[in-house]
Amino acid sequence: MSEDRGERRPRPRGGRRPRRKVCAFCVDKIEYIDYKDINRLRRFTNERGKILPRRMSGNCAKHQRQLSEAIKRARAIALMPYTVD
Amino acid sequence: MNRYEMIYIIDTGLEETARKELIEKVSGLISANGGEIEKVDETWGKRRLAYAIDYKTEGWYVLVNFKAPAELPRELERNLKINENVLRYLVVKLEEKRSSVKPRPVRPAAPVEAAPAEEAAPAEAAPVEAAPVEAAPAEEADPAGDAE
Repeated sequence: MSEDRGERRPRPRGGRRPRRKVCAFCVDKIEYIDYKDINRLRRFTNERGKILPRRMSGNCAKHQRQLSEAIKRARAIALMPYTVD
Repeated sequence: MNRYEMIYIIDTGLEETARKELIEKVSGLISANGGEIEKVDETWGKRRLAYAIDYKTEGWYVLVNFKAPAELPRELERNLKINENVLRYLVVKLEEKRSSVKPRPVRPAAPVEAAPAEEAAPAEAAPVEAAPVEAAPAEEADPAGDAE
């Protein structure tokens, strides 16, 4: 489910846009993104531990903000890595 | 009074009695300063750290929920900073609106009872699915699972 998020699709010339991505958190009706929920958070980082941009994750602005906050908190208490190498 | 949630990581080098003592001490500190402990959750227990802190790769996680006046976190953090057996800490203010992810996260008891009433349904659902996974409390494969 998260697989299609990362890759970049070439935009076809003919003007047909790639499928509109929807915010995973809106879909799940999540109001508060918990920094302890690392399994969920991890889906929004790349393999280097960086936070995916909205254009890849498809998150709405509100949830992307919350998400980045949550990931940063998780990093602070060593639940998630700042960087993987 | 605000609602707070605190996580702190204790050095695993500390033996159990000393650890219990430390946890007591921290809890005592909260109640002594006008706070009110709601829950001390030690079920996370020993966990691999996502990165080494002071060359240590494991830590003992303790999660505390409490209500406290706004000045308390500062005092609390001051004390945690002094204690060298505490590798890390994080105090977060909980806001009321939150329902949230709670069902899933790490503990079955996780719902931070932000909204006890409406949360009834998800809260019930949670322990059921969460419990079996949690049976082995210590560490799940975490940093390893990065790639998914």
